[in-house]
Amino acid sequence: MTVSAHQGRVSELAVDEWGRDARLIDLLSPIARMRWDVIFADEIRLPTGPALVVVNTRRFALTPIAVAWALGDELERPVRFVGRPDIVPFGPLLRRAGGLLDRADEVAGALRDGALVLVGAGPRLGAEHVGAIEPDVIGAALREGAPIHVAAVRSSATSRHIGVEIDHPLRPRRRRRGPLAEVELADAAQTRLRDLLRGTSGGVADLAAARAAMRGSA
Amino acid sequence: MSGRRVLVSGMGSELGSLVASLLEAEPWVGALQGIDVDPPRRRLRTAAFHRVDPSDRERAVELVTRFDPHVVVHVAVWEPDARVNTATAQRLTNDFATSILGGAAECPALEQIVVRSAAEIYGRARNAPSRPDEAAPVAPTSEFGRMAALIEAKADDVGRRTGVAVGAVRLAPVLGPHVPSPLGRLLRMPAVPFSLLADPPFAVTRDLDAATALVAAARVGLAEPVNVAAPGAITAWQAIRRGRRLALPMVGPEWQLARRISHLFGAPVPEHVVETLHRGRLIDRGRAQQLLGVTPQSSTSEVIDSLYAWPSVVHVTRASLQQRSGAA
Repeated sequence: MTVSAHQGRVSELAVDEWGRDARLIDLLSPIARMRWDVIFADEIRLPTGPALVVVNTRRFALTPIAVAWALGDELERPVRFVGRPDIVPFGPLLRRAGGLLDRADEVAGALRDGALVLVGAGPRLGAEHVGAIEPDVIGAALREGAPIHVAAVRSSATSRHIGVEIDHPLRPRRRRRGPLAEVELADAAQTRLRDLLRGTSGGVADLAAARAAMRGSA
Repeated sequence: MSGRRVLVSGMGSELGSLVASLLEAEPWVGALQGIDVDPPRRRLRTAAFHRVDPSDRERAVELVTRFDPHVVVHVAVWEPDARVNTATAQRLTNDFATSILGGAAECPALEQIVVRSAAEIYGRARNAPSRPDEAAPVAPTSEFGRMAALIEAKADDVGRRTGVAVGAVRLAPVLGPHVPSPLGRLLRMPAVPFSLLADPPFAVTRDLDAATALVAAARVGLAEPVNVAAPGAITAWQAIRRGRRLALPMVGPEWQLARRISHLFGAPVPEHVVETLHRGRLIDRGRAQQLLGVTPQSSTSEVIDSLYAWPSVVHVTRASLQQRSGAA
């Protein structure tokens, strides 16, 4: 290998300021696509600046990672997910994959840095159930002035299709000066997610069919 | 604001002399004085320098109070295993902090103190923020971090008692062609150990960017801590690959052996460098532009690439000397 070829290859060797390794994600993405087929319903309505996206999660389904990677692919920008452990070897590996620690100050820092951050609600066994949402993380987004979106994720243990429906940004029902602001907004996010999952939107099968039809027409 | 008297402690270090040379070019600086155990590493045109033994507190205090500075830029911080071992670094740093900051507190003209601090001040305990901002708690987990915390505490104490502004510039590991840095020395070894299971990211700062930030802090009257690091991040393995060194993967107990061998080969690996290689070292540098009006120009990758490009030995020939004197 020539020196210039070596330099060309090593010049790509770096991670971003949160430790996310775009090169590693590019390498792993084809494997992830073999496991998950993430389909977004409608147009993705997210700002180009910082935003917090709250998703429902199914236990053992790695929903935040699957959705964050797919969203990153769609939007062509890094998407970070909350919930990496701080222990080797999983912590460093998930950090390379775009993971953040589950800390409000960490989420606030990423949002201040202009990141799109995806956080999971408390995991539940059923796909249509929504666990509690951590108010501290919502509070971090409020303090940083980042919009908060909820995204209903429809997935199943027996299918590789994951349907994602991203909603408009949440608005607080009333102005609060204290910590009730994030507590109420976290409750509102949970309720909105439940409504979306029980709503009239089609399930995963419908989304998969729609995608197949689109591919067929193309 | 002009004609200010500025005192630079630690002017003999590479960073201190770089700060002094930048301050000489500042229009608001009237008189510039430096104190250190070693003479400055570069030619200074207007600065006065005093060589002082750190244990000679009376002389240091006398020099400081006689100069009666408006601004003190305290750069006299010895990174463990950079120029001296950890115990000596602690003693020198502590002695100078007591003399210089204590002496500064007695100066009626004093308006501001700027201290050189370090990103190690945040510590890297488990579940600590991976990229702490200035509001993150000070919880050092290495000796260098504790030294930085001690200096900031001393400066804050002086600030509280005298009512002067205290600014702390928390620098990511400083690298430069002449900066003695244990991290830089380790990365330049022919074979470099790295943590196979973690290989976390870290950021660095180029010496000129660090000096520029310290001078900017003095210029704007910084009155709070600010993080300064080069943009971007890199892992040890990536740095090793960029430098075309032999990567030695480590998983745990063999680190002790690697540290000893590295020490034998002239590159001691202090606690905070091991921490950097095991747990990473990133800081949120988002407020630097807002607080200082400047941000580092060289990215972390560029600084690392430069680290490998800097010559280990500069051969001075008669012709090069003649050429240099002719240019001067």
